[in-house]
Amino acid sequence: MSSFAAISATDPETRPLIRPITVLNALAVLAGLLLAALMAAPLRAGAEPARAPRLVALSQVNYGALLLQAGPQGKYVEAPLVASDIDIKITGIIARAVITQRFRNPAKGWAEGKYVFPLPDNAAVDTLKMMIGKRFIEGRLKERREAKIIYEKAKAAGKKAALVEQERPNMFTNSVANIGPGETVVVQLEYQHEIRQDGGEYRMRVPLVVAPRYLPKPVMHLAAHRPGEMTVAISDPVPDAGRISPPVQHPAKGKRNPVSMNIHLAPGFALGEIKSPHHKIAVRREGSDAALIGLADGEVWAERDFELTWTARPGAAPDATLFRETVDGQTYLLAMINPPAMTDGQPLKPREMVFVIDNSGSMSGQSMRQAREGLLYALSRLKPADSFNIIRFDDTMDQLFADAVAANDANLTKARAFVAGLEANGGTEMLPALKAALIDARPGDTGRLRQVIFLTDGAIGNESQLFAAIQAGLGRSRIFTVGIGSAPNSFFMSRAATYGRGSFTHIGQTSEVKTRMAALVRKLEQPAMTDLRVNWPGSADPESWPNPLPDLYAGEPIVLTARMDKLAGDMELSGDLAGRPWSLKLALGSAESGTGIARLWARRKIMALEGIRYQTRDWKAHDAALLAIALKYGLVSRLTSLVAVDVTPSRPKGAELISADVPLNLPAGWNFEKVFGEDLPAIDEEISPTSIREAALIKTTDTPPVAANQKPKGLPLPAGATEADLQIMVGLIALMMAALLLLMLVLRRRGFGPADERRPA
Amino acid sequence: MSKAARPAGRLARLVGRARRALAGLNLSERLAVAVIAFFVLVGCAFLGHGLYIKAKAELAQILLERAWTRTLAGAPHARPWTWADMWPVARLDMPRLGRSAIVLNAASGEAMAFGPGHLQRSPLPGQAGISVIVAHRDTHFAFLKHVRPKDILRITLADGRPRRYRVSGFEVVEADASGIEAHVPGPSKLALVTCWPFGALSGGSLRYVVHAEAEPGPVRSAEIRWRTPGEGLSP
Repeated sequence: MSSFAAISATDPETRPLIRPITVLNALAVLAGLLLAALMAAPLRAGAEPARAPRLVALSQVNYGALLLQAGPQGKYVEAPLVASDIDIKITGIIARAVITQRFRNPAKGWAEGKYVFPLPDNAAVDTLKMMIGKRFIEGRLKERREAKIIYEKAKAAGKKAALVEQERPNMFTNSVANIGPGETVVVQLEYQHEIRQDGGEYRMRVPLVVAPRYLPKPVMHLAAHRPGEMTVAISDPVPDAGRISPPVQHPAKGKRNPVSMNIHLAPGFALGEIKSPHHKIAVRREGSDAALIGLADGEVWAERDFELTWTARPGAAPDATLFRETVDGQTYLLAMINPPAMTDGQPLKPREMVFVIDNSGSMSGQSMRQAREGLLYALSRLKPADSFNIIRFDDTMDQLFADAVAANDANLTKARAFVAGLEANGGTEMLPALKAALIDARPGDTGRLRQVIFLTDGAIGNESQLFAAIQAGLGRSRIFTVGIGSAPNSFFMSRAATYGRGSFTHIGQTSEVKTRMAALVRKLEQPAMTDLRVNWPGSADPESWPNPLPDLYAGEPIVLTARMDKLAGDMELSGDLAGRPWSLKLALGSAESGTGIARLWARRKIMALEGIRYQTRDWKAHDAALLAIALKYGLVSRLTSLVAVDVTPSRPKGAELISADVPLNLPAGWNFEKVFGEDLPAIDEEISPTSIREAALIKTTDTPPVAANQKPKGLPLPAGATEADLQIMVGLIALMMAALLLLMLVLRRRGFGPADERRPA
Repeated sequence: MSKAARPAGRLARLVGRARRALAGLNLSERLAVAVIAFFVLVGCAFLGHGLYIKAKAELAQILLERAWTRTLAGAPHARPWTWADMWPVARLDMPRLGRSAIVLNAASGEAMAFGPGHLQRSPLPGQAGISVIVAHRDTHFAFLKHVRPKDILRITLADGRPRRYRVSGFEVVEADASGIEAHVPGPSKLALVTCWPFGALSGGSLRYVVHAEAEPGPVRSAEIRWRTPGEGLSP
C-alpha cells in the first residue's frame, strides 16, 4: 500500500479514485491471490518440501552456532557440532589464551562455516592456526580488505581457508571455507589481555556468549550541514547490522557449542581465595603461588560468561606490579599500581545522582529483577544532602522528576514505586536517555559531584553514536555503567565508562546484586583520586596509554602501558587525593620481564586511537596510523584480519560451489519458496533455479569484498516496485469475469443456457 | 434551458430503456446484471489506476527530458514542473536495449513515481564509490531483467559528459543487508537497484542489483552526439 500513500500525497485529485479501491481491496486481492496460486501451482509441483532443511536467518538464533551458508539471501543452514577448548595462562597480570574450535560439516557437500565469538574487550588477538589432518597452517596478518580477498580467492579455488575478523573490539567472527563432507577442521587462535583488579580482587572474564543486540531502526532526521541550510538525512545507526547479528538459537532447541577450559594461574604472589561466581570449578594448587583451574563438570555450554576471581593471601598483595619487554630495541612497560587507601577524613561532598535504568525487552526476566534490586539498593544508600533523579528507557523514555530532587522520604517513596513498577518490554533506544541524563541544570556547581549510573545490558549496536554523545555532553558529570545479566556488552559499557570518566561494574546474577552494588556505591561515596599524572625520568619521552589517566576510585589500581627507549630512573605518579596532593616514586629498573607487553601496549594505543576517532576530522590519516600499529604489532583490529590458506586445493576441481550445489543447502524446489517470499507466490516463467544460482555465483566473484576500512555497511535499499501490475491484473480479471457473466446471461436469454436449468425439476 | 434539457432528456431516455430491459429479466438475471456492473466498476477502477501509474511514469519522463535539456544548458535544479520537489541529476542510457531514463535527485517514493532516483547516501556517478540508482521494476527499470553481463550503460551528468560503465554482475540481496558499501575509495561503480523477483505482484524485501564498473578510456565522439533512445550505437 506504500505506493497508494505516496500517490495520494502528491496528487490530491486521485483520492476519490482510491476510496472505492480500498473498499473493494479485500475481494480483489483475493481474486488475484487465487489466480496467482493457480498459475504458480505447476511450478511447485516439483518441490520436495519434506527434504527442505530448516533455514535460519542471521537474526533468528541465539547461541554462537556454526552456520553453513545456503543460497544468496543471507540464509543459513545450522550445522551443530562445534566445540571450543580454552586454555589460559595467567602470568602476573597478563592472561594469554589459546582458543581451539572444532568445526564439522555434517552435510554431504562442501560448505563454508561462520562462527561469531566473543572475547574480553581488552583482548589483543595475534595468532591464527588451522589444522587439517596432521598439518598446521599459520595465519598471516593482513589489511582487512586484503585478507578478505585472499580468503575469497582461496574459497573460490577450492582451498581450505580461515579468516578471523574483528566485528567489535570484543566480538570476532571466524569464517572457514571448503569444509569437506563430514570433515572436521580445527582452528586455533590466541589472544592476551591484562587482568582487572578491583579492591584487592583480581578478575578475569571470558565471554562465551554474544547477546543478541538491539539494533535501532534507521531514522530520518533534519541535519544542518551549514548554518541556514537544512537537508533531510536518513541515518542508519548500525550500518553493519547484518555482520554483527549472530543467529539466535531457540532455547527449546537444546544448547550447543560445548566449551572446555584449562587455566594456569601464576599471579606472582601467594594466592588467597580462587572463585568462579557462575561455574563450578576444580582448583589444584601448585605451591602457594600457582594453581591449575578447570571446570568441575568437564564441559559447559557456551551460554554464560565465565568469570574467575582470585585474591592475594593477606599481606601478600603487591603495591605495584611492573612488567617490561624489549622488542626491536624498544622497551615496553606495563604497570599496575595500587594507590594508598583513600582515607575519608574530611566531610564528603553531597552528590547529584542520576540513575538511568534500561527496561527494554532484552532485560526481561532475571536481568530486570537484578536491575530493579540494584537501583533500589542504590536509592537506599542516598544521604539526605544528596539529590537524585531516575530515567527509564526502552524504545521510549520517562524521567521521574523534571530536575534532580532532594533525597527526602517523600521523593524516595515515589522513586521506589516507580522502580517497582518497571517491566521489561520494547526496544533499546539508549541515546535519548543518555542525552537526557547528561543535561546538567547547574554545570558550574562544584559543591556537588554529579554521577550518572547506567543500569543496562548494553544490548545495542549503535555504540559510536552513544560514545559521541558522551564525549560531547559529559561536562562535570561522570558515568558509571552497571552491566546486568549473564552476557552484557562489556565493550560498550567499559568504553562508555572510560569516556564518561567513571567505571564499569558487572552484575552476573541476582546473588551478586548486593555485593557489587555495595562496592560501587561505596566507591561513589568516597572521594576519587583526580588529576593523575605520570612524570617520566629525564629525557625519556615515552608514549604511554591510557592518556590522560582516568580518575581513580577507592580500590581501583592505576594501569598504564608505555613505550620508551630505555628503562632507567624513577617514574613519579602524582594526583589529587580528595583535595590533598599525593605522589609515588617507582624505580623502573625493578620491572620484571614478561611477554606480550608490546602487544598490550599496542592494543591500548589502538583502543585510544579508536576512542578519539569520533573527534578527528581526518579519518583517513587516523585510520592509516591505526593500521600501521596493528600491522606492526600483528594484532587483529577493525582494519586488520588474520587469514590462513591451505596451499593445496582440497575441493575437487569443477566440483560444486558451496552455495550452489550442496544438496542439503539448495534442494530443487525450495528456491521458489525462498525467492517468492512467504506472502504471495509470483507468476514469472523467467525465474528458474539456474538464474538464482547464477546470481549466487556472481555474488561470490563479482561483488567487492565487504571491506571495513571505513565503516562496513550495506546501504539500505528503498522499494523498487509499484502496485501497477497488481492493479492492472486485478482490473483485467474483474473485466474478464464481467464479460464472461454477460456472455452467460446473453446465451441464457437466447435459450442456450445450461441444459440442466431448462430441464423441468 | 434547452441546452441543459437535451442531455438530460437523452439520459432519461437511456434510463428508461435500461429499465424496460431490466423489467424483462427475472430476479436471478437481475442479480447477474448487478454482479456484472460491479465487476465492470471494480475492473475499470483497478485497471485505470494501474494504467495511471504507468502513464504517469512514462509521461513524467517527457517533462523530465525538457528539464534535463535546461539542466544541460546550465540551469541548476531545473524542475520538470513548477510544483515539483525533485529535479534531474543524470541521464541513464542502455544503448543495447534502446532504453533511457532521466534520473532524479532522490530515491523517495514520490520521485520514483516519475523516474529512477539516485540514492542520496551514495556518491554521484563519476565519483569514487558505488552510485546507487533505484527505480521500480515494473516501470523504469523493467528493462533490468534483460541486461546481460558486459553490457554498456551510459550515465550523463549535468556537465554533459557521458560516462561509460560495463555491467560486471548481478546480485539478489535483502533490502536491509545489501552489502553495498557506497563510500569505498576506488574507481567509480554503479549499482542499479530494483525489486526482485520481476513480475511478482507484491513488493517484498528482495532487491535485484545490477553492478557496473566505470570503463576507462575516452568516450567516442559518436556517443556524445547521441540524442534519442535507441539511435543505433553498439549492436
